Amino acid sequence: MGNLTKKDLLVAAVGDVFRFEGVSMRYRLGPEVLHDISFALPAGSFHFLTGPSGAGKSSLMRLMYLAHRPYRGSIAMFGRDVSSLPRQELATFRRRIGVVFQDFRLLEHLTALENVALPLRISGAKEVQIRDQVAELLSWVGLGEQINAKPSTLSGGEQQRVAIARAVIARPQVLLADEPTGNVDGMIATRLMHLFEELNKIGTTIVVATHNEALLERFPHSRIRIENGVLVGPRDIFDTSAETVQS
Amino acid sequence: MKKLSNGLPLGVDPVSRFLTLKVGLLVLLATLSLAVGMVMSSVAESLQRSLSGTLTVQVPAGLEQQSATESIIEILRATPNIRDVREIPDREINEALEPWLGAQAPILDLPLPALVDVAIESGQTVDIQVLTKKLSAVAPGTVVEEHSMWLGRLMDITNTVETVSMSVMLLVLISVVITVVFSTRTWMAVNREAVEVLHLIGAHDSYIAHQFQKHTFWLWSVGAAGGFALGTSFVLLIQFYIGRLSDSFLLDLTLGDIQWAALCLLPATAIIIVIATVGFTVKSVMRSFM
Repeated sequence: MGNLTKKDLLVAAVGDVFRFEGVSMRYRLGPEVLHDISFALPAGSFHFLTGPSGAGKSSLMRLMYLAHRPYRGSIAMFGRDVSSLPRQELATFRRRIGVVFQDFRLLEHLTALENVALPLRISGAKEVQIRDQVAELLSWVGLGEQINAKPSTLSGGEQQRVAIARAVIARPQVLLADEPTGNVDGMIATRLMHLFEELNKIGTTIVVATHNEALLERFPHSRIRIENGVLVGPRDIFDTSAETVQS
Repeated sequence: MKKLSNGLPLGVDPVSRFLTLKVGLLVLLATLSLAVGMVMSSVAESLQRSLSGTLTVQVPAGLEQQSATESIIEILRATPNIRDVREIPDREINEALEPWLGAQAPILDLPLPALVDVAIESGQTVDIQVLTKKLSAVAPGTVVEEHSMWLGRLMDITNTVETVSMSVMLLVLISVVITVVFSTRTWMAVNREAVEVLHLIGAHDSYIAHQFQKHTFWLWSVGAAGGFALGTSFVLLIQFYIGRLSDSFLLDLTLGDIQWAALCLLPATAIIIVIATVGFTVKSVMRSFM
């Protein structure tokens, strides 16, 4: 018992962060883009989501960050079925997820500081605390001099770092990142991956959708592969009957 | 230090300035309509109270006018269902004529009829034709004037004006609601990206609705206060002129304390309706998100 880390305790307490069972998805009345997806991700695990363009990575991410309901099947988060949960209750689950969107989705009328502060503003944190915390994180990602800059004045890489800072500022239990290193140079990419690993060490479940083969080679974490809307690997995450499956 | 943004692009732009102006005009219209409606309601009540259940008997001028009037009063007092009979003194007749004929009315020596005010028992009626026949036998040419006919017409007019005024006010309030619904939906469509980001990072519908309500409250309060101030200024101006001509009017066309209090509630009511509509609209749009 004495050798258990904080992360081990969290994993034991939370169990699976995500449990997909027979999930299909389609946009409105269009064709299915995901077919019969089943997997379970234990708390505190780290996964890469890979697959060719158009395979369904972003759609799967949309289901995970609760932007879309499944057409068929069920999705459980932290042990609760969220696929049919009343929408008023979903906000509570969304606050436990940090998302780095592929297109960043920064709000153009806000400064970098205000964009990053949003999750804390929404959760009702005090403004003084928000300013200190956000300024510190922005300095950490190398944007200490640009806290008052609007997104349109920042480069693609800088915008991406603001998006990442916004995703992690509220210390989410799950971090979902869609191509988070797509617009940054190798050094920044490595630094961001180290940040994700640090977050993972304290129990945050990480899912990173990426094409970046170099990144995949350099950081040897579990890979979830999706092709034509179907999950093709690895076998271990398919077992949704087990309580938890370690990556 | 500048306050941190709540995330929504809620600035004062030309569109919101136009909406402030529009709500000001709508509240101005509603204020005037309500004022007219309430004055008409008072007039109708006052007419009903003062003139229902009364008759006026006019005894024509002539040599025997005084004795004929006395006989007529006796007959009236003996008539069933009549509660009170009173001869209207010359002084009152002169006062009533003064606005039209001037202060010299008493000395003009006009052949004015003698007037007798008759009050009928509450809930009872008197056969006017029979009474007229009886009184004409004493003084030919005597006229019994029943107020109910012209009172009824006047009441119809005041009731119509009152109904139209209240309907206009109701239409104005409906127009406010429609404006709020469409402007809110348009704003949300234009700023869907910002709303969706807030939604996806965990904002409750009520957070988004509350931010919008706060913004709307200040913006529309300015419009409503301006419209109300202008509307009440008009009402006060009209009251001032009516006050100067009050001697010429048989009716009180001014607002009482309770009516002023009701009028003051109008902008507050409009703002409450606006805030509730904004909240309802935002939440209904948010239902299109998962």
